[in-house]
Amino acid sequence: MNRIQKDRDEMAFSEIFDFFAPKVNAYFIQNRIKFESSEELTQEVLSTVWLKSNQYDSKKSALSTWIFTIARNKKIDFFRKNSKINFKEEDIREFLYQDREIELIEENEAKKQIERINNELDEQQKIMIKMNFFENKSHKKIADELEIPLGTVKSRIRHILTKMQVFLR
Amino acid sequence: MNGTLVKNQLIFDFASGILGPAKSMFASTYLQLNSNASKIGTTFENILGENLMDNENIHPKNLKYTDCINGKDTNSTPILNDPVTSFFGNLNDLNWKQVYKGFKEYKASIDDKDELKLIKMEPGVSVPLHSHGGKEYILVLEGSFSDEYGEYSKGDIQINDQKIKHTPTASKGTGCVCLSITEKEVIFFGRYASFLNLFTFIKSFFKQK
Repeated sequence: MNRIQKDRDEMAFSEIFDFFAPKVNAYFIQNRIKFESSEELTQEVLSTVWLKSNQYDSKKSALSTWIFTIARNKKIDFFRKNSKINFKEEDIREFLYQDREIELIEENEAKKQIERINNELDEQQKIMIKMNFFENKSHKKIADELEIPLGTVKSRIRHILTKMQVFLR
Repeated sequence: MNGTLVKNQLIFDFASGILGPAKSMFASTYLQLNSNASKIGTTFENILGENLMDNENIHPKNLKYTDCINGKDTNSTPILNDPVTSFFGNLNDLNWKQVYKGFKEYKASIDDKDELKLIKMEPGVSVPLHSHGGKEYILVLEGSFSDEYGEYSKGDIQINDQKIKHTPTASKGTGCVCLSITEKEVIFFGRYASFLNLFTFIKSFFKQK
């Protein structure tokens, strides 16, 4: 990223493009955006990375975080511009659920999910999520406190989050 | 309502980008005015950014990196420093509607199922005891107000559900200006349910402590 900011290094950008473009594109598709549009949005995101590279501050956030926020903002924008599509989806959902007891569904679903997640996480994973989520501790700090290598913390948290991601769908 | 939990959910929903235009605007103002909320938002964004790194790959068909280098500058949704002013303009120039003496409001024209409005209360003015149909979100922009549950100043939010009955009163010294969201309908299924459920799950960690 430094090479892009300082030297406008196109090769450096192509590396970032190769890594992130498919992931950003997948992100839009996961958010129920059709392929055609997802590709356009992906182009916009990566163009922003290139054109506004000076807005990125490596001291403040990871590159992935910065790119994620750009993609997220594009998504919000996209849905605002296409709000009628959005409302249609809402309506279908209302129709699907109208005869069911919503409160009940919510409670049972939540309980089941908690059970499932609790079964899957071990004690250390629970502690790590708590430290990262609620105590705003960095991965480094967690590694120091639990006396395990930094790489292990990173990969474990990523693993837990991937697991949790399943429940967010 | 459990304050922290509901606030964190708003922040998380904002970070994930699943809020409608009205709530997005509300939440971005909240994060701008409240440093603690902003910190939590950053934490969520870091997590979501890490998730992006692990995301599956779906390769774009017709897109090369050179398209992005030569791409046009799309000037959409920059991260705004002052969402309220860029959205409403100067608050003094708005066409405020007086609801009753000392209480004015301005409804934003925004295409959303949630209603976004500004509320201005003169010093010492109260809102009569009321409860809410859907959920109501209030963010203090200037001054402060208090009710049966506490005092709220600049950057504080209050989230009220149907069960809450309260009598907010603007502070005698300054009065207050607030940004508010009123949900016309509350839906606890589909997209939103999974997030409500997520926070129920997170809450369970505290119970186990």
